[in-house]
Amino acid sequence: MNASANRPRVDSRLVFAHGLAAIVTLLISVVFGTLAAIELIAPDIASNAPALNWGRIRYDHTQGILFGWLVNAFFAFLYHAVPLLTGRPVTSARLGEWIFGLWNFAVVLPGWVLVLAGFSQPLEWAEFPLVIDAFVVLVFILVAIQFLPAFFSRGLEDLYVSSWYIIGSLVFTLLAYPMGNIVPELVPGARGAAFSGLWIHDAVGLFVTPMAVAILYFVIPAATRRPIYSHFVSMLAFWLLFFLYPLNGTHHYIFSVIPMDAQIGAIVASTLLGLVVLVNVTNMLLSLRGAGWFPRDIGLRFVSTSAVLYLIVSIQGSVQAQMSVNQAVHFSDWVIGHSHLAMLGFATFAAAGGLIHAWQRIPWARYDAMILGWAYWLLIAGITVMFVDLTIAGLVEAHLWQSAAPWMDSVRAAKPFWLIRAVNFVPVLLGFVALLCGLVVGPRGGGLKMIESTIGLEPIAEIAPGFAETA
Amino acid sequence: MRHFLRMSYLAAGIGGLGFFAMSVLLLGVWPGIALERQIRATEPDHPMPLTASEKRGREIYGHNGCPYCHTQQIRYIESDVRRFGRATLAWETIFDYPHLWGTRRIGPDLSREGAVRSEDWHFAHLFNPRHITPDSVMPPFDWLFDGAPDRPKPEARDLVAYLETLGRNRELAGANGEAHSRAGCDCSDDEKHLAFDAPLLNASASMPRSAGAAPKLVSPADRNRGLRLYARDCANCHGPRGEGNGKGAAGLVPRPTNLAEHEYTPDRLSSALWNGVAGTSMPAWRDLPVEDLSAIAEVVRGFHNPQAEQASSEFGAEIFADHCAQCHGESGDGNGPAAGRFPIASTDFRSQRGSYEADLRAVRDGIEGTPMAPWRAQLSEEEIAAAAHYVRGLFRP
Repeated sequence: MNASANRPRVDSRLVFAHGLAAIVTLLISVVFGTLAAIELIAPDIASNAPALNWGRIRYDHTQGILFGWLVNAFFAFLYHAVPLLTGRPVTSARLGEWIFGLWNFAVVLPGWVLVLAGFSQPLEWAEFPLVIDAFVVLVFILVAIQFLPAFFSRGLEDLYVSSWYIIGSLVFTLLAYPMGNIVPELVPGARGAAFSGLWIHDAVGLFVTPMAVAILYFVIPAATRRPIYSHFVSMLAFWLLFFLYPLNGTHHYIFSVIPMDAQIGAIVASTLLGLVVLVNVTNMLLSLRGAGWFPRDIGLRFVSTSAVLYLIVSIQGSVQAQMSVNQAVHFSDWVIGHSHLAMLGFATFAAAGGLIHAWQRIPWARYDAMILGWAYWLLIAGITVMFVDLTIAGLVEAHLWQSAAPWMDSVRAAKPFWLIRAVNFVPVLLGFVALLCGLVVGPRGGGLKMIESTIGLEPIAEIAPGFAETA
Repeated sequence: MRHFLRMSYLAAGIGGLGFFAMSVLLLGVWPGIALERQIRATEPDHPMPLTASEKRGREIYGHNGCPYCHTQQIRYIESDVRRFGRATLAWETIFDYPHLWGTRRIGPDLSREGAVRSEDWHFAHLFNPRHITPDSVMPPFDWLFDGAPDRPKPEARDLVAYLETLGRNRELAGANGEAHSRAGCDCSDDEKHLAFDAPLLNASASMPRSAGAAPKLVSPADRNRGLRLYARDCANCHGPRGEGNGKGAAGLVPRPTNLAEHEYTPDRLSSALWNGVAGTSMPAWRDLPVEDLSAIAEVVRGFHNPQAEQASSEFGAEIFADHCAQCHGESGDGNGPAAGRFPIASTDFRSQRGSYEADLRAVRDGIEGTPMAPWRAQLSEEEIAAAAHYVRGLFRP
């Protein structure tokens, strides 16, 4: 049977546009990160250059990774996945153009420029100034209009787990975003910090993670041509995650003045979260059995690695939320290592895997599997060095902070690690350049031809078995 | 069946929204109510809000990522309290829109930074942190200045004005405020201990105090260690050979002391290193162990070139009694009747001695940035010389 015959129409232009925007903003964000890393080695390069100020560069680095790279990559994936999951096209191609334009030219670009010009708010994952927040909320409303109706138009009975994650992510982000971006501007000090903590975790837990997990649960069955190991476990984990993630926020402020009961609640939730992720990832890895640790399908290879990194970073999160560990490593580079393992590891590998998977199925897009294979190994090297280096740095800092050594001793001790981190931009940047090259060189439609000439395009049944039965 | 599924999904969806609402209530709203109650029970009567200038400084602080390296939150754990002072109380952050707690410390916590350092120190340090602390990785904020650390733009003044507010309300609350907060605090004994019992001055804060016991210096074993420490921590202001001409000295008033022109008793050096010199940019170095302070003191003493002793005259004693004893004390111990009013202590001539030339200059021209006035209009050259000789004779090594 010709699998593409009954496939709903995917708007390939929007997959392509968001995919390209994702990688371009990714490269810019990595340059920001590299610059910030270099400025810790050679701070005086920012002399008399307020736009090069470390703080502003640091804000643009993380905002670029979240809003530029991950959001664009997720949107690209949604334009591919939502029609396949629902059997319906997205609401409107025209709306898609508006979303693309508004997101990149009314949020990401002006956000970056305003931060460099000195307009920002010092709130984590919320550094773009308030005026940008208005556009973020607007776009997320438009995105809900764009993607959500497709899920509901045929009734709700056939929702595959990825659909649940997508719906949950889009709805909860819309609710959580103002918590971290607007509430702390209105509620002062410790009370505002309680809300800020919610968003610090929700940005990762209620937006990035569900989108990434949606990609994992989508690409794994699509590429392996087998249903996932257990739909029941996937749904159980979904509900437990959406129960536990929002309760984690306060673990960023352990030993603070926020009531101890709230801190303990967040610590308990963080501990349970690790267990649930263990169950969830086990389900993914069982679904991957037989595919090998490094599958030939590059999209699947990124995705399967993402699943492993998801498990590691979540277990680490559970560990570092414990009071005895948190007391020592909080505020240190250990946490920066953790956040890179989450964003450069888990989330980026999922986003890249989803993007590659969707891109390969654009009939006219270029594709070069060998270069993408290089991208994979370079990024593996980059995240490994980054994580190990910063984790050790964090332990050294934590040790010195517990002692009576002068503060500057911890700065001096960290410098060699910061140097390694700065030099580590080479594999990371090369890896992302290779990701870009792998998607813009090679023959047009080469990726799709490769699939069709070997095992053939996957039937929808592998992605959304429930839908396939009723279709 | 289909209807049943649809209804169960609907119920699940509502449940999901319930999860989110629960998280907001449990981790946002409820702690907020508890904190509000706590704040009302513990805050001092009239906490001082930020002035317009301080608010502008706070904006600059936020827009340039300062809170991403400097936390403003002393946690309720021993290592935080030992290093940075009493744990942060809920009411201390009531003027923070938004909060600046931070989640990373590359530089030290700044919750108690106000009133710790001189304005000059902040300007010189902001202009280029490495002029003061050679190994610092803090970004230069020279773009807040007109080319020199002593020419701050209004933005730099606002920023330093803001830094001066950090911890201000806690300090203004004083002993009564602390007692009130302690009584109202709905917290465990451990928390009370960490929030109220830690000494206001702690081993690592560089908060100078005008007087106080200082440890006895020991005889240092390793002269090279002293040289290394001096080069690392002192030379930036006092210069590589102690001549007071380091890079960091440029914007500081009073200027860093020319150590080569002065000799000191060990106790005087110990006090300056341990307590800092109040009213000047000299910080306290209580975070260094006594062995290291002793090694540095040894290096400082080594800068001095001994001069031939000259007998002081009766004439010098008269000049001193008439013109100098008001501040420097009859015995020259710096405890004259007028000395108590000054922000910078009058020199105690028994514990330190300048070279003849340095003393001559000081009497003739005064010392900029200190209460020491120029005397060339009131005293003749002969009288100035006699006074300079006389005070040198007071030294008791």
